[in-house]
Amino acid sequence: MTVKIITPITQALSEGIITRQQLRELMQRSDAPPVKRLGLWALLLIISSSLIWLSRDNFLIGPAMFIQGVLLVHLFALQHECVHYTVFKTRYLNEWVGNLCGWIILLPNLHFRYEHCDHHTFTHLRGKDPELIPLPKSLVGYFWYLSALPYWYGRIASILRHSLGKLTDEDKRFIPVTERSIIYRDARLMLASYAALLAFCVVLGVWEVLLYFWLLPMALGEPVMRYIRLTEHVGRPHTADMKHNTRTTLVSAPWRFLGWNMNYHAAHHYASSVPYHALPRLHELLKEHVHVEPGGYWGAHKEILAQLTGRQPRCDEMPQQATQE
Amino acid sequence: MPTEKHWQDLITFDALEKDWVTSAQIGKRHFAVYQTGDDGDEVYVSSALCSHAGAELCDGYFQGHLIECPLHQGCFDIRTGVAVSAPAVRPIKCFECRVEDGVVQVLL
Repeated sequence: MTVKIITPITQALSEGIITRQQLRELMQRSDAPPVKRLGLWALLLIISSSLIWLSRDNFLIGPAMFIQGVLLVHLFALQHECVHYTVFKTRYLNEWVGNLCGWIILLPNLHFRYEHCDHHTFTHLRGKDPELIPLPKSLVGYFWYLSALPYWYGRIASILRHSLGKLTDEDKRFIPVTERSIIYRDARLMLASYAALLAFCVVLGVWEVLLYFWLLPMALGEPVMRYIRLTEHVGRPHTADMKHNTRTTLVSAPWRFLGWNMNYHAAHHYASSVPYHALPRLHELLKEHVHVEPGGYWGAHKEILAQLTGRQPRCDEMPQQATQE
Repeated sequence: MPTEKHWQDLITFDALEKDWVTSAQIGKRHFAVYQTGDDGDEVYVSSALCSHAGAELCDGYFQGHLIECPLHQGCFDIRTGVAVSAPAVRPIKCFECRVEDGVVQVLL
């Protein structure tokens, strides 16, 4: 028999923070807005790619690749929305675009979906949340994380492991037995397609294209994504209470555009069926009931840095409260 | 030995949210009632909880014949109960229903 759990949005409805009619309006989806948004992102990518091409013989290629990288790594935000099926009204478009984004940023879509579901069930609970980013032990650990080197190591190791038909114990917790063969297939397809693309470019003598327009930009841009990802939960108490374990960060319009409004992270966790374009409106309803960081991403990092330099109590030295079983 | 099933009143048709899902109950049993179709004349009834983690389906997104769990967006076809997307893999229970004299009835 299925046992009922109280989700944050069901709780918010019962507390009268939001009405059913408001929730219904906020959940409505449409294909046109994301297509326009994606079109603008593609235009920016064309511009940054042009800058790389135009600066290929001088030092400006570095900044140009960085801009390209920042655009590329933000495909994570789009893929994240797609795994929630909230970008497009047409359901299969979310799967296609999610898989494409995942292919570009080395994040197999179905595995991410399963992992992310557990993240929403056990948000920021140690030993249960598979996406939990621990508060770094020191400044060295903080910059090591921001370098994105451990992230890339984890990503590549995960794809290789799955391609060999193996899962970690953590994977086994959230991936049903019946779905494991699909996880292995996805990883193998991913590796095979990368190899085919590389071979194709080598044969044509254009392998540098992969390096200068895709791989190096992603390596340069990923620290920006790591910087953003730290602001979502790191430094917040390890508790099942959504009012405390997640941080909404108020940022400027360009960051909201690139991140598909995922800075409204607490609102997203409250009601993950609400599409990105409605999150600012949901935030207005919830802002008195969630933790809001008004000082932008740097404001969140100041809280994190205060904890790891001993100026504030560390969130991981407080007892974990009210775990959700 | 299986007990005989009977039609039981669940909710008035007028109380249903149009093209959406409405919560209803008989005693302690909770149900999700869906009104859909081009003319709004299709009614379906399922169990109220997602088969994956037990979230309240009535708080999820409904479109066409698909109900999405509000917690993980696992999705079910309400005509059959079949799970159509991860992380849901088990079906939800769907109940035979009808509208009689303006009342949605379910066979229990």
